[in-house]
Amino acid sequence: MTDMRTPLGKVRGLGSAKDGTDTFWRQRLTAIANIPLLLFFVGLLVALNGAGYDEVRATLGNPFVTLVLILVLVSGLVHMRIGMKEIIEDYIHDEGVKIALVVLNTFFVFTIGAACVFALLKIAFGG
Amino acid sequence: MRQRPLSPHLQVYRLIPTMVMSIVHRITGAALYVGTLLVAWWLIAAATSESYFEFVNGLYGSWFGRLVLFGYTWALLHHMLGGLRHLVWDTGAAMDKHTATKLAWATIAGSITLTVLVWIAGYMARGG
Amino acid sequence: MVELALPKNSKINEGKTWPKPDGATNIREFRIYRWSPDDDDNPRVDTYYVDMDDCGPMVLDALLWIKNRVDPTLTLRRSCREGICGSCAMNIDGTNTLACTKGMDEIDGGVKVYPLPHMPVVKDLVPDLTVPYAQLSSIEPWLKTVSPEPAKEWRQSHDDRTKLDGLYECILCFCCQTSCPSYWWNGDRYLGPAVLLQAYRWLIDSRDEATGERLDNLEDPFRLYRCHTIMNCTQACPKGLNPAKAIAEIKKMMVERRV
Repeated sequence: MTDMRTPLGKVRGLGSAKDGTDTFWRQRLTAIANIPLLLFFVGLLVALNGAGYDEVRATLGNPFVTLVLILVLVSGLVHMRIGMKEIIEDYIHDEGVKIALVVLNTFFVFTIGAACVFALLKIAFGG
Repeated sequence: MRQRPLSPHLQVYRLIPTMVMSIVHRITGAALYVGTLLVAWWLIAAATSESYFEFVNGLYGSWFGRLVLFGYTWALLHHMLGGLRHLVWDTGAAMDKHTATKLAWATIAGSITLTVLVWIAGYMARGG
Repeated sequence: MVELALPKNSKINEGKTWPKPDGATNIREFRIYRWSPDDDDNPRVDTYYVDMDDCGPMVLDALLWIKNRVDPTLTLRRSCREGICGSCAMNIDGTNTLACTKGMDEIDGGVKVYPLPHMPVVKDLVPDLTVPYAQLSSIEPWLKTVSPEPAKEWRQSHDDRTKLDGLYECILCFCCQTSCPSYWWNGDRYLGPAVLLQAYRWLIDSRDEATGERLDNLEDPFRLYRCHTIMNCTQACPKGLNPAKAIAEIKKMMVERRV
């Protein structure tokens, strides 16, 4: 089929989505939050290097540690969900595949988040 | 008329430090994404039972596990330094091309240095 | 899925090696992309040899030397030969630049010349720039006002005029546009660095009264936010301008108007 649309018509396309700034801003916000949060996480792992089961559970069950780790997870997962969405939008051009991957991305992030938070709470509340 | 060919792009474009660091930022980001599975597995193991935790912890403590975790540490620190560079750029600062190139080199040098330091600290904390 | 490799009709074959100039002692090798719509062949890279003692110092001098002395079918755009018209933009030694201002002394070894990257090729070094031109017109690069037109002129303070420095000098050669991987992968939806620099030029023009509408028009995950600050644009610009910074300033305006 010969495409007879004008170049300008194609460029104007479906128009502006008037969207993207929220995502841009949220990515920066979580990036800033991630710096202290993930440094804490790295520090925690360094401190727990070689530690046994009981020590690890005692540390993870400390209310402060549990709370900060939940913040690490929320901030980190929001950030990486946006990041993966950007990757998908950059490289995947088939609309159906793109939407499927964007959905899977969200599922993955929520599953990881729910599993980690559940594990932390279980340890914290002594299950 | 014949269909016009597409001119070469990745095939011919010279790799420059800023471009390479952008690619590495993306790769480390994607690696961290997959790496959250390791974090989740470890936390779930700690919440499950002592024997299961010892099993997972043993895997992570093997030479291969340590290699993966070393890579994960580097990916995290590299992505963090790259992110800091992006935050600076988002303010409009340090964007002239020579400064940008220096920042690109600083990102890779800084991330390797920090990763080694973190691991030295980890081994010192427990004496290996 | 994005195509990182070239499509079948675009794969590049080894082309013809042209004879070395007779009696020349100072010879430079040129490897130049060729494609003609008049036959059925794939693109190829031809090898030419230029007598440097008989040729000016710039890459454009060598290309015209080849066209005049060796192979008149070699096709390229050029006009001013002094970096102000933007016609001779091409990929030289792996970077987009103007052939007329790129000195051959800046390049080690053989000189590789390709058309601007990831564009449809009209012939040899001539890319089809229809899409970037349409993208430029989509941002309406002219003064837009609502106030009654003044009798004499729209006035602007010296300070406000200074804000246009580093933007108005753009010659629309599209070196930056076609250096950007984001533009390679999403050139149909992402406006690209050259067009966004122009958009910013009108966004910060103190005389313009359509700033909000202009921002509305740009605020889009693809039109604007495909920019990931890869910085190829700024590294490539043969006029020393900074498209990446212009885009960063647009993003700042987007945040500013909602915080």
